[in-house]
Amino acid sequence: METFLDAATKIQCRSVLDWKKSGKPIVGYTCSYTPPEIFYAAGILPVRMRGIETEGTDIADAYFGSFICSFPKSLLQLAGKKTYSFLDGAVITPGCDSMRRLDECWRTAGKDHEGIVPGFFYYFDVPHKSEAHGFRWFVDELKMLIHAVEKHFGVRITDEGLKNAIRKFNAGRRMLQEIEAMRSQKEVVVSGTEVFAAVIAGAILPRDEYTRHLERWLAELKRRKKSLSKGKIRLMLTGSASDEIHLFQLLEENTGAILVAENLCFGIRSEGNEIEEKGDPVEALAEHYLAQSTCPRMYGRFGERLSYIKDKVKQARVDGVVMQNIRFCDLHAAENALYERHLEPLGVPCLRLEREYGPMVDAGRMKLRLNAFLERIKKADRIIADENESERVDDLPDRKPLEAAR
Amino acid sequence: MRPEIKEYPYDRLMQGLLTVAKNFTHGTEKEAELAYRYIPSYRGVLKTVLDAGEAGRILFELLDEYYANIIHARERGKKVCGTTFCYCPAILYAMDIVPATFEVLTGFGCLGWKRGMFDYMDYCCEVGMPETSCSSQRGFLGAFLAGLCADIDFLICDSPGVCDTNATAYAFASAYLNKPFYQLNYPSSIGDDRSQKYHIDDYKGMIRFIEAQSGKKLDYDRLAEILREVDYQDRLTADLEDMLMLVPSPLSSVHNLMIYAGRFCASGHKLYTRLLEAIVKDVKQKAEAGLSGLKSGKERLRAFTCYIDHYTADLNFWNYLEEKGIGHIGCILSRNFRDNNRYVQEVPKSAYGIDFSTPDTLLDSMAQLNARMPMVRSIRGPYDMPGMWLEESLAIARLYQADCIIYNGTPGCRNTWGMLKPFARDLERQGFPVHIMNDDAFDDRVESWEAAKDRLDEFFKVRGLL
Repeated sequence: METFLDAATKIQCRSVLDWKKSGKPIVGYTCSYTPPEIFYAAGILPVRMRGIETEGTDIADAYFGSFICSFPKSLLQLAGKKTYSFLDGAVITPGCDSMRRLDECWRTAGKDHEGIVPGFFYYFDVPHKSEAHGFRWFVDELKMLIHAVEKHFGVRITDEGLKNAIRKFNAGRRMLQEIEAMRSQKEVVVSGTEVFAAVIAGAILPRDEYTRHLERWLAELKRRKKSLSKGKIRLMLTGSASDEIHLFQLLEENTGAILVAENLCFGIRSEGNEIEEKGDPVEALAEHYLAQSTCPRMYGRFGERLSYIKDKVKQARVDGVVMQNIRFCDLHAAENALYERHLEPLGVPCLRLEREYGPMVDAGRMKLRLNAFLERIKKADRIIADENESERVDDLPDRKPLEAAR
Repeated sequence: MRPEIKEYPYDRLMQGLLTVAKNFTHGTEKEAELAYRYIPSYRGVLKTVLDAGEAGRILFELLDEYYANIIHARERGKKVCGTTFCYCPAILYAMDIVPATFEVLTGFGCLGWKRGMFDYMDYCCEVGMPETSCSSQRGFLGAFLAGLCADIDFLICDSPGVCDTNATAYAFASAYLNKPFYQLNYPSSIGDDRSQKYHIDDYKGMIRFIEAQSGKKLDYDRLAEILREVDYQDRLTADLEDMLMLVPSPLSSVHNLMIYAGRFCASGHKLYTRLLEAIVKDVKQKAEAGLSGLKSGKERLRAFTCYIDHYTADLNFWNYLEEKGIGHIGCILSRNFRDNNRYVQEVPKSAYGIDFSTPDTLLDSMAQLNARMPMVRSIRGPYDMPGMWLEESLAIARLYQADCIIYNGTPGCRNTWGMLKPFARDLERQGFPVHIMNDDAFDDRVESWEAAKDRLDEFFKVRGLL
């Protein structure tokens, strides 16, 4: 866990610095649509770019406009401060309106701040639909990315290399699925903060090293007996991209709550399913990263995303859903309202929280709202318990609406 | 939403207003002058548009019919499609579907009502949309979600990949009201074979969707007929573009609004043709006489609004340009990127043509036309990529001899706010003074018109332009 926490809380973590010392290249990427398997197959360390450790956005504000989400601003700020100077490459994806403009803003900032733009700077055009032509477009994009990586770094990425990468990453995915299953048990032995650190680390650490650590940690978890969930409210966290372990700590520490599920860009949802190991590896990557995506940028698939959340709520016996969005993230803000509209009548309490990404300046306000939310759930549970003379309602369709508690 | 607002259907209120506007000139001049006294906050719009002569009257006729078509679609056995300004409605007319373009329906409410569309915008937030989402959709959408408009049968938008806030509004409406929804999606590039093919494949998917919703197959003869009308309209627009390059420009500032508002509502429709013919006739006379289209008759400055214009209360922005003697040389909404325009030569591979040879070429033409609609053409990729916003803006600013460039949008325009500072910096380096308006084009509460005007005054003074 120490290695995971190191990776989850530091941009320049130990393993990344060790890799850099070995002289091998590192490429950063901004979005869950970029398959790290491609870089693994090329002997390059893929690192998901994060905005943690940001103390302000003075550099980024010179390039991004006023109405832009603070997450990409934080990435640019760190680039401007040379925190990402270890990167040999960066892949920018049009994940959303704010994130895709990191491309122009970073390049422009590079004219004012020498040496902050990596030698390999690539715009990876991901479509917003996975129907036949969208899928074909994405497959072509993957092939072009592979070609560009080969050309720039002087490496060769073979089908066999990609298949091997898929197998290696799948091994980690299977372990994460086991851990996810543990979180659905009545007695949960692992905190949400720990799991999130482990998932984040998967997007940072060299994959072989990660797999070894994950194996050891999984074995340790299997030995754990002490329930961390007893008497606690089981929460699910959804919404805008978040890589902030502090957000998890805020929700779990001294609150009487435990996080048992997420639907976050950095979370298990991107790692949950295995990738097909047979057939064309590029198409298998496309199927996983595009077709199975549950990001709201894939318009018109709200129903699938709602089902995913409903299933998670049921599976992990969730008592309440915390839906956060970073200010100016309309994609998640709008969907959060729709989720709430569907979940509340089913008896699933929801809390919508708008916040700024970064150094948790509004932690006090968020804590206050969380506490009120938890009180509401406790009160509702008491009412249900009194009415039903049972401890917990586990089956989602049978849940009683909590109108009475409001 | 306040209960009294819920008492009245928005679409019928607006149509009532437009019917009065359309008939305003039927009386004597004296009667009109008297009537203006009773509409202090709508006078600016009515007077400015009607002062444009025949074209102004046709614009009101067109808008009146537009609203009537939406309101009476059901009783006429037609389906209504909720859509966006950057989607060409010609295909809907070809398939006998009534378009309801949210931004246009919001825009005219903003212009015509002193209180603007605030109540409806806020209703969207009441039901869950963030207040940071785009006001241009939230106005009409609020009225629609509140049940204050005729029903819409399905939704189409073409902004995913270009503008999240736009696309989110339609996706939200679809999920909230359980309406069928199709998203046309554009890649980040344009003009290359790959993206051209993507446009066509996606467009064909959309045709299948509309056919499923309407229960009718696309009639290619009808499509050809509509495209012939579009073709003629494009020629008229190209004539106007040529005349807009003259110094002084013979177009009035409000002509620009008429050209694009008409296109968003009625591309391929005979009424739009009449509107353009009337504008061309008026502008040609001024061009032949070497006159400016401005009321003052003197063009002191030429401004290019590189994104959108300002649509709040009483056409204040447009009247300001007139008063100051500033020639409006169009905005991103003005240009259609048809291959017969001079400016497309400056932006290689940017244009579309219309090929009438076969049903397939008709459909391909329609798909490529739609991919060149405002915003979805030039904001889709990084601004400094070939054919994108910078190249387009510089080409137009140079060709039309702009003295300055003004950016205006809404806080919801994150697609532009994300790159605006580097973009403006590049324009300045090319010698164009740039002013960034920090208001909301549809919501005066973000920055009042008075404050926006003060900043414009300051810009023109400090940069030595006026």
